[in-house]
Amino acid sequence: MINFSIAQWRAWAPGLDSADDWHAWCRAPVLLPASEASPDVSFLPAMQRRRLSRLARMAFSVGWPLAEGLPDMPLVFISRHGETPRTLDILSDLANEAPLSPTQFSLSVHNAVVGLWSILRNETSEMTALAAAGDGLEHGVLEAAALLNEGAPAVLLVITEEQPPAAYAGWIHDVPFPYALGLLLTPGDEWQLELTGSTVQPSTVAQWPHALNLLRTLLTEQGACQHAWKNRVWNWQRKL
Amino acid sequence: MSDKQRLERDIKMLIIEALGLEDISVDDIDSEQTLFGEGLGLDSVDALELGLAIQKTYGIKIDADAKDTRNHFTNVACLAAFVTARQAA
Repeated sequence: MINFSIAQWRAWAPGLDSADDWHAWCRAPVLLPASEASPDVSFLPAMQRRRLSRLARMAFSVGWPLAEGLPDMPLVFISRHGETPRTLDILSDLANEAPLSPTQFSLSVHNAVVGLWSILRNETSEMTALAAAGDGLEHGVLEAAALLNEGAPAVLLVITEEQPPAAYAGWIHDVPFPYALGLLLTPGDEWQLELTGSTVQPSTVAQWPHALNLLRTLLTEQGACQHAWKNRVWNWQRKL
Repeated sequence: MSDKQRLERDIKMLIIEALGLEDISVDDIDSEQTLFGEGLGLDSVDALELGLAIQKTYGIKIDADAKDTRNHFTNVACLAAFVTARQAA
């Protein structure tokens, strides 16, 4: 069991730019229409933002405002599927025996976003890039809690998923639309997260990705939520 | 517009497109302007990407290890001269 507080949050999905948008979505969650929209990252100089994919832009758009004004802090970056559009582009070039784009290749690793974060913010704190199963959020929070326990005054957690290209649609079922959630985690006991192993009934698997489900719990002032994945059941408890 | 001017304009368009310079237009790049470091401010990943774009577009081979390759990439005018010489060869 781990304890922590969620000091601030930021989220982005196509059409959901403001806190008010998210409050409305959390009260009445709906599937968002397919969109090529990308979040505003104009706080980055043009030469620096030009190579950022939408996934990277989503991560920066939720993480940057949470980190502004704070001293250096560790980052836990989570994405189960990562840069699937880039992966498909590179694999397509390989299949066609075409030379690979050096830009695409250099940004194709899972920790590329973390690397860009470090370069653009001149940030040298500990940073982690995780790809877990459908409960990556909980694994990331576990990692963040370990960092808080080691003495970090705050840890930034960013979880994001990109809409997979159609070629992957048969295998990726847990990304209803592109989204990113940033959480500024601090030591405290506002929240409690506990892992219990038990048999998961298919009916208890959350309809929305865990990150969005947690945001619903957070914004609709509920006291608890339960996220089940495979044989892992995560119980989120909040002091109200 | 001369052939040289046309080629230089095409190369500027190629640079903008291949390197994602969304805020820059053809008129913003001077043919004599330094491309890397100072000037336009491109970096080493841009050099590789631009080399690939030039090879694909003009069907020429660039030897990354050749001593004079760096000189060919000094500015747009040098690149145009290089492409012209290679295509004629």
